Amino acid sequence: MLELKNIGYWYDIQDNSLFEDVNLKFETGQSYAIVGQSGSGKTTLLSLISGLDKPKAGEIILDGQSLSHIGLTKYRQKHVSIVFQSYNLLTYMSPLNNLLTAMAVTKSSHEGDKNYARGMLQKLGLTDEQMTKNVQRLSGGQQQRVAIARTMCCDAKLVVADEPTGNLDEDNTQEVIQLFQKIAHEQDRCVIIVTHEPDVAAVCDHSYRLAHHEFALEK
Amino acid sequence: MNFFKRAWLNLIAKKGRTILLILVTSAILLFVLAGLLIRNAADAATSNAKKSVGATLTLSANRDAAFKSMRKSSRSDSTSKPTKPSLSLTPVKLADVKQIASLSNVKNYNLTASTSVNASSFDAISTSTSSSVSADQGGPGGSDSKMTSSQGDIAVTGVSTTALTTNFTSGGYKITKGRGIKASDANSNNIIVESELAKQESLSVGDTVTVKSVSGSKSYKLKIVGIYKAPSTSGSTQMGPGATDPSNTVYSSYTLANTIKGTKYKNTADSVTFNVSDPAKVNSVKKAGTKLISTSKYSLSANDASYQSVKASMTNIKSFADKIVWLVAIAGTIILALIIILMIRERRYEIGVLLSLGESRAKIIAQFFVEMFLVLIVAMGIAGAGGTFVGNKLGEQLVSQQTSSTATTVQSTSNGPSGQMGGGGQAPSGNAPSGSTGRGGASFMDSSTDKTELDVQVTPTNLAELGGFGLAIIFVSITLASVGILRLSPRKVLID
Ligand SMILES: Nc1ncnc2c1ncn2[C@@H]1O[C@H](COP(=O)(O)OP(=O)(O)O)[C@@H](O)[C@H]1O
Ligand SMILES: [Mg+2]
Repeated sequence: MLELKNIGYWYDIQDNSLFEDVNLKFETGQSYAIVGQSGSGKTTLLSLISGLDKPKAGEIILDGQSLSHIGLTKYRQKHVSIVFQSYNLLTYMSPLNNLLTAMAVTKSSHEGDKNYARGMLQKLGLTDEQMTKNVQRLSGGQQQRVAIARTMCCDAKLVVADEPTGNLDEDNTQEVIQLFQKIAHEQDRCVIIVTHEPDVAAVCDHSYRLAHHEFALEK
Repeated sequence: MNFFKRAWLNLIAKKGRTILLILVTSAILLFVLAGLLIRNAADAATSNAKKSVGATLTLSANRDAAFKSMRKSSRSDSTSKPTKPSLSLTPVKLADVKQIASLSNVKNYNLTASTSVNASSFDAISTSTSSSVSADQGGPGGSDSKMTSSQGDIAVTGVSTTALTTNFTSGGYKITKGRGIKASDANSNNIIVESELAKQESLSVGDTVTVKSVSGSKSYKLKIVGIYKAPSTSGSTQMGPGATDPSNTVYSSYTLANTIKGTKYKNTADSVTFNVSDPAKVNSVKKAGTKLISTSKYSLSANDASYQSVKASMTNIKSFADKIVWLVAIAGTIILALIIILMIRERRYEIGVLLSLGESRAKIIAQFFVEMFLVLIVAMGIAGAGGTFVGNKLGEQLVSQQTSSTATTVQSTSNGPSGQMGGGGQAPSGNAPSGSTGRGGASFMDSSTDKTELDVQVTPTNLAELGGFGLAIIFVSITLASVGILRLSPRKVLID
C-alpha cells in the first residue's frame, strides 16, 4: 500500500545525507520493524512516512497517489496514525476525550461513539475511573495504551510508531508489541515500528535494518 | 470533540491560566470602556453645554455711534463755554424687535427697560453708601431734559417676563412668594419686590404701594404680585458708585418702566435679549437681524463667546477621549497579543499533537479564538460592572472640569467688549448685583450655575461597542499569534 521511491533526506547539506535512494514497500496486514543504531536516521524516515516532513529527494506513494498530491494534512488526518515514544496525548483531557478528539479530527467512522471509545480503552485495560481522569495522572504504560487505543479508534490504514516501548518496562513492552501485531493482523492495517530493541523487531513480520545510510531487509 | 468542545475543556482544565486571562482581558476592556465612557460623556457634555450655554443676541442703542456724534457736537461747540456733552441713545423700537423675533432660530426674547422712582408710601432700604448720584449716570433718560439727572431710590427694572430675565434664570434670584412678572403683566402696574424690602416694610403679595416719579410730578400705584429674593452674596462690593441697595429694585413689565420714563418711551425698550435656539446659528441670525435695523442707531451684538469656548473645550475633551479609546485599544491589543503569543508558544506541544492527528491549522486557530471569546464574554461582564463605578467617577470629574473651565470663560469675557450696558436709562449697573452689568456677561453664567448633570452610565450600546473592540482585539491578537502556528512544523515539536 505504501511505497518509498528513491527517497533521500539530509538536514544541512546533501553530502551529509542520512540516506539516499531508499526504495521500500509496505503492505497492509503486515507489521514492520525498522531497527538501527541511535542517530542512524530511523525517526527521520518515520517522519517522512507519517507525513510530518517531506523527503528531499524521491517520493512516497500511497495506493498509487503521491503524498504531495494528497496533501500532508489530509494524509495525516485520513491515512496515517502515529504513536510516539512520548505518547503525545492532549494533556488537558481525559483518555476518553483524547480518543473522541482524535475520532472527530480524523472523521473516523466511529466519530462521536463514546461507547466504542470506552470499549477500546477497556480492552486495553483501563478502568472506567482511569478513562475519565486527566491523562497525566496515568502511568507511562497506561498513557501509551491510550495512544494505541487512539490509533485503533481511527480508520487510518497505516500505523507508525516511534520507539513505542522506549519508556515502558518489560511487561508493558510485551503487551504493547502484541497490541501492534493485533492491529496489523486482526484489523488488516500496515504497522511500521521504529525500535532499537531486537526483542521488538523479532515479533514483527518483517524487519529492516538501517545501517551505513542503507536499508537492508533482515527478515 | 470538535474545537468548540476542546476550547471549553482547555479552559476548564487550566483554571488558573483561564482566570489570569480573564483578569487581564477584564483590565484591558475596563480601560477601553473607560475611554468609551469618556467619549460618551464628552458627547453628552457637549450637547448639554450647548443647550445650557445657549447664545443670545442683544439689541440696544449703538453706543459707539452715539459717542461719536456726541464728540462731534462737542467739538463744533468748542467756542461756546464748555457744556457737558450729552450722549443721545435711541431706545429700541418694538417694531424692530418683532421683526427680529420672527427670524428663524430666534426662540424668544426679553425686553428690558429701566428707570427709577422714589418710594412714597414706604421707605427704601437705606445703606451707608450715599445715594446721591453722579451726573454721568444718565442714560437716554439723562438726555431727556424733562427728567432730572438724579436717581430715585427705587430702581424699576421692566422686563417682558422674569422667566427670561438672566438674574432669575441663572443669577440666583428666586420668586419666594406670589409669582414673577409675566408677559400678561404688560400695561399693568404689577411689580415684584425684594424680600428684604418686603420684610422691612411689611409688604406682602396683594398689597399696593405708591411711588413718585423722580421729578415728583407724578405718582403711581403699584400692585405687588410677587416677592423675590436676591442672592445674599450680592454685597455692597458689587455696587457701583451711587448704587442703592439691591433690595430696592422692583421688577415690573417693561411697559411700566416706559410709562414712568415718559410717553416718548412707549413701545420701546432699553435693550432686548434674543435667545437663539441653536447657538451654532447665532451669527447667521445676527446677520439677518442687522439687515432689519438702522445700524447707526442700534447695534445687534452676538453673545456666543461662552458657547464657542464650551465648544472648543468640549472638542478638546472629545478628541482626548477619542485618543484614549484608540490608545487603550492599541495598547490592549499589544498586551493581549503578547500574552496570547506566549500562551500559544507554551502550547506548541498540544498544537503538534493536533497537527499530527491531521487537524487543520485553521481549526486550531479557531479553537484559540473560541477560548478567547469565552474569556472575553466573562471579562465583558466584569468590565461592565467595573465600568459603572468608573463611569460615575469620570462623570463627577468631567462635570467639575467643564464647570470650572466655563466659569473661567465667564470671568474673562463678562468684562470684555461684549459686556454691554444692559439698560441705557437709569444706570442699572449698581442696582442689580451682577446681571445688569451686561446681558452678555450674565448669560454666560448659565453654564456655570446650571450644574450640568453628566450621566456616565454603561449603556447596552457601550457594551456592544466594547464587545466590538474586544472582538477586534482578540482577533488581531490571535492573528498575530497564529503566524507562529502557521509556521510551526509538527515534526519539530513532536520529534526534535
Ligand atoms: N532537526 C535536525 N536538524 C539537524 N540534524 C538533525 C535533526 N534531527 C536529527 N538530526 C540528526 O540526524 C541524525 C538522525 O536522527 P534521528 O532520525 O533522530 O535518528 P534515530 O531516530 O535513528 O536515533 C542524527 O545524527 C541527528 O543528530
Ligand atoms: Mg529516534
